[in-house]
Amino acid sequence: MTSNDRTPYEAGPPTADDLRAVQFTAASMLHPGYTDREVDEFVALAADQLARLTEENAQLRDQLRGMQEHVAAVASQPSPSDQAVGILATAQRTADQYVAEAEDFSRQMTSEARAQYEEQLTQAREKAGAIIQAAQEARAAIVAAGGTATGGGPDTAELQEQVAYLKAFGQACRVQLRSYLEALLSDVETEWGRAHPAVLPPALLAQRDQQIGPGPDAAMPFHSNAATDPPAEGGTPAAAVPATRSPS
Amino acid sequence: MDIPAMRASFGKAAAHGDQAPLWFYSHLFLTHPETREMFPVSMAHQRDRLFAALGDVLARVDDLDALVPILQQLGQDHRKFGTLAAHYPAVGASLLATLEHFDDEWSDELAASWTEAYGVIAEVMIGGAEDASDQPPWWEAEVVAHDRRTIDVAVLQVRPNAPLDHLPGQSISLESDRRPRLWRWYSPANAPRPDGLLELHVKARDGGPVSTALVRLAQVGDVLRLGPPVGHLALDTESDRDLLLVAGGTGLAPMKALIDQVARQGPPRRVDLFVGARTEDGFYDRADLRRLEQEHAWLTVTCAVSHEKVSSLEHGDIGDVVLRHGPWTSRDAYVAGNPAMVEDTVTRLHQHGVPMARIRTEVFAASRPSPTVDGKVTE
Repeated sequence: MTSNDRTPYEAGPPTADDLRAVQFTAASMLHPGYTDREVDEFVALAADQLARLTEENAQLRDQLRGMQEHVAAVASQPSPSDQAVGILATAQRTADQYVAEAEDFSRQMTSEARAQYEEQLTQAREKAGAIIQAAQEARAAIVAAGGTATGGGPDTAELQEQVAYLKAFGQACRVQLRSYLEALLSDVETEWGRAHPAVLPPALLAQRDQQIGPGPDAAMPFHSNAATDPPAEGGTPAAAVPATRSPS
Repeated sequence: MDIPAMRASFGKAAAHGDQAPLWFYSHLFLTHPETREMFPVSMAHQRDRLFAALGDVLARVDDLDALVPILQQLGQDHRKFGTLAAHYPAVGASLLATLEHFDDEWSDELAASWTEAYGVIAEVMIGGAEDASDQPPWWEAEVVAHDRRTIDVAVLQVRPNAPLDHLPGQSISLESDRRPRLWRWYSPANAPRPDGLLELHVKARDGGPVSTALVRLAQVGDVLRLGPPVGHLALDTESDRDLLLVAGGTGLAPMKALIDQVARQGPPRRVDLFVGARTEDGFYDRADLRRLEQEHAWLTVTCAVSHEKVSSLEHGDIGDVVLRHGPWTSRDAYVAGNPAMVEDTVTRLHQHGVPMARIRTEVFAASRPSPTVDGKVTE
């Protein structure tokens, strides 16, 4: 076998052209070789395949070189210049300052608003506290006057309830007093001259004297009015006062 | 790895203060512009954090047993920022460039040491992130209720889009589209519930961009992003001692979560909750506390004010009030509130005879002081 005078061992694997050019020596008459046509066809096929593989191999090699160059380029990517880094750093600091100033402004605004709010609230509370205090004192005075002691220190919630109660009580009193006054005036007009102090029991009379202060003459029609002739403003006056609480 | 040489070179960069991290991030954003959008507009706090974290890592580099879990956790937590494995080499390159820039005696040996060390750090962090890959990197949670309780406190109910398992007492970081890229920590006020809802207590801090937005701007329908739960204030499940819970401000949230856990899972025990505030207005959750107290016979709630004289509530610093109701020496104590309150209460409880090992704390502070105008973040 000859292959352009090169031996396969020296020249590496045969190239496609080697395969195409190969010539086999004729076989002897005693041992006829392969059919020439089959050998030729096979060799041609092998040559084509080899050619394709060689070409693909070259392409892959190129690709690999390209990739390697890319990797090298990425790896040795020139660091951004100090100047560029400096410019970006300055820009970043400027942005940071704006944000910091905005946050600072917001903090000042809110803390001032909060301080104001808390001050107003404290003032309102102190006012409320003073009212409660006054109410408590008033209540203590009433208790002392009424002679009924509750015992133990009342807490704020209780006092607030009492303040609310006292307000309602005051309102009811005002309504009652107006009714009384109107009824009284009407009584005075209609009953004048018919009243007699003996109608009231003496004890009640004495109490009335103490609490309201009008003389027996005035108390008498008051009593008779309450007992026999309720004021016209609907229901008894006592119903306007919260039923669950009493001032003592 | 030449650790002393690395520490020396890090020291040189750190000596330049804010300049070094500023240079690092500028370098990173120039070489990899796509990383910029992972950070907030203002980088002041971020810069402070980076070098603090690097310093921590360098300090512990001899003690890998301690360092590895920290790095794994860090890697896991970084998933919520959208950090990918591909970002790590970019950060490493900029870190080396920064160290080189600030070091007159930079050498190839030093570069090799840092490359190796950073490689290990990145590998552990990426590993930590991969270990957590069965969980989503973040949860989207819709605000389903927003209840403005006081002038600066709101209680939010949020519904995560996927189950978010947390231990009562743990904290969850969150980000709102109203303040993009700013993550803040909040502690849910409930144990995991069948409906998956989380209750968040938010106090608006003066000048705090996230907290004020959550209190004053957030609305039902807003979508928050939640990070994975972390934290150490979990109930000691080994213990069945009675509990003493002390809360100041929104430190109430983790305490409610612990109460919720006792109610749901037991073991049955007495729980005394003390809640402190400056004024009565500070009790933003009284109605719910009253409800809990009525529902659970084992729970006693005591509220105390420190700065309001006219009040029906107990008066005094909460630590003081707690001791008035003692003794607590047989209790497990949990304390959450602002730094001064926590320190004061813990000191008193310890003096009172509660062993430190049985006192667990969580400090609730403004997540950060805002950067000053010259870009400094001071703690």
